[in-house]
Amino acid sequence: MAGPAIRLTGVSKLYRRRDRGAGWGSLKSALVSARPGRAGEGAVPALTDVSFAIAPGEVVGVIGANGSGKSTLLRLLAGVHRPTRGTVEVSGRVAALLELGAGFHPEISGRENVEIAGLLAGLSRRQIRERFDAIVAFAELEEFLDAPVKTYSSGMTVRLGFAIAAHTDASVYLVDEVLAVGDEAFQRRSLEKFAELERDGATIVLVSHDLGLVAGRCRRALWLDRGTLAADGPAGETVARYRDRVASRESSRREAAGTPPPGARVGSGAVRILAARLRDASGDETRRLPAGRAASIELELEAHGRVEDLVYGVALSTVAGVTVLATNTKLDGVFLPPLAGRALASLEIPSLDLSPGVYSLDVAAHAADGSPYDYWRDALRFEVTAAGPGAGLWSPPRTWRIVPAGSGRR
Amino acid sequence: MRQRAIVAALTRRELSARYRGGALGYLWSLLNPLLLLGVYAVVFQLLFRPRADVAPYALFLFGGILAWGFVSASLLDASETFRAHGPLLRKTTAAPEVFPASAVAARLTHLALALPVLLGAIAYFAWRGEARPTAALLQLPIVLALLALAVFGLSLAVSSLSVIFGDVRDIVSNLLTLLFFLTPVLYPASAVPERFRFALWINPFAPFLTGVHACAFEFRAVAPAQWAQMAAVAAAALLLGGAVFERLRDAVVEEA
Repeated sequence: MAGPAIRLTGVSKLYRRRDRGAGWGSLKSALVSARPGRAGEGAVPALTDVSFAIAPGEVVGVIGANGSGKSTLLRLLAGVHRPTRGTVEVSGRVAALLELGAGFHPEISGRENVEIAGLLAGLSRRQIRERFDAIVAFAELEEFLDAPVKTYSSGMTVRLGFAIAAHTDASVYLVDEVLAVGDEAFQRRSLEKFAELERDGATIVLVSHDLGLVAGRCRRALWLDRGTLAADGPAGETVARYRDRVASRESSRREAAGTPPPGARVGSGAVRILAARLRDASGDETRRLPAGRAASIELELEAHGRVEDLVYGVALSTVAGVTVLATNTKLDGVFLPPLAGRALASLEIPSLDLSPGVYSLDVAAHAADGSPYDYWRDALRFEVTAAGPGAGLWSPPRTWRIVPAGSGRR
Repeated sequence: MRQRAIVAALTRRELSARYRGGALGYLWSLLNPLLLLGVYAVVFQLLFRPRADVAPYALFLFGGILAWGFVSASLLDASETFRAHGPLLRKTTAAPEVFPASAVAARLTHLALALPVLLGAIAYFAWRGEARPTAALLQLPIVLALLALAVFGLSLAVSSLSVIFGDVRDIVSNLLTLLFFLTPVLYPASAVPERFRFALWINPFAPFLTGVHACAFEFRAVAPAQWAQMAAVAAAALLLGGAVFERLRDAVVEEA
């Protein structure tokens, strides 16, 4: 068992670019034209000079933007593709959980498909017979076994694919975004299965866009950036660095596009919000805040004439549209003096207990009955960074207390 | 070893998927050639008068059509097999050759299932005194086995080229139509005028069809020279197909 389970040395992978219709799309045109395009010309590098080693039993996450080479890496590890340069060494049997559910023949039964998929995954006929019941039980497809796969739902197909791959006794598991599919219950069971495989000493390489999952499940993470290995280290650290990079790229792109973000504004205009700002603990204006630290939202306002019936409001939501916080001065029982001319209003939050991610801020000045003077949707966006692991929207300070059961207390 | 099991499983899958929808199932394999034979018998006994030296013409035609049908269906299936199995190909480490191999194997199985009908036809014509079968008939399986090797070789080339070029299937199907008339299927090789005989020498399928006619129609042993020709074609096809496939192997896996 000495030596790494996986070792990549100076691995590069080029894909030939071949545009259909143009170049040498048809054999006829290739035969007619004197010299068709050659390999190397118009090649797209998917991975460039990647080297790393993974010890047996390690659970390693692979993160990176779309097109950064993650799937190519898994295909090379699986031996489906061959590297253009460098060497890929993998010891032990490999189970590749790629495009689960793809490749089943729709016309024939689940039973027959299990047999073929098992053979293709490297099992012998006898091994398939021995494991058949366990596979079917894991996929929960007992009743549908003899129905053609075309009658299966996509979830059932994926479950079957997962069940087969998870029962191949492999020592190396390559997992591509598998957990993004399937319902809650299935996701939980697949995570349990991975934990079990991990306990049994399997090496797992997990490609995922779910950074929380990678940070929580993997001890180590590789970050691929446009085909090169940008970072390789403890998962939490690598994920944090990746998040920082994504956030700074995002904000520089937004700046290049011209701030503030174009938000829809409605209202009578009796009160105008001149600016909405976000300040960090030290009072500096920012678009990136560390989780768990103080923050404040500041509104610069101007009234045309004197306005007495006045409420200020803020709403925070994720970019996906889930409201995290919606409040206003009236709800919070704050008395506002009449406004004439300009004023500054700020909402101070002692501890921003949000999970890392991008959030959108709506700000408003409106009458007590809700009719808006100025409602500014998506007035600004900001990024909450780092802090600890965990998924979900809320990340408060917390402690676990464990009391032994049966100690007399209920 | 593992590849053999996979080819067998894929072939079974191919066959069972094909017949799954029909109530008659595998009977179609028998029924199809039987209907074909019936049509030939009617057309060529009653409507057309074929050459007197090729009688019974229906029997002559039947053997040739079965063999040619195997060739043409295999190559057409091969031209689609990688695309059809793209999703599997992109995730399995099994050798890609298993897909064209199973396409050919499935067609070979169809051919094997049709052979009893051919035997029945021979028995019928023998009973009517129009055919005199001899032990030469036993050479038919060997001829067909060599043909299957040649077809497998070509299917390797056709299937891998079809991944890279979009028009391979069209080219193959047109070539097959042309070859159908250039190969002794509708006519015996002996009917070809002396000055065109060379065409039979360059046509890779001609020796196999002539071989089928020899052992399943004329019932005479295949000449050694012809065995040599068939073996040479099979070997050349395997070498050529293997070389084309090896050269395009990466492209097949990456682009199918």
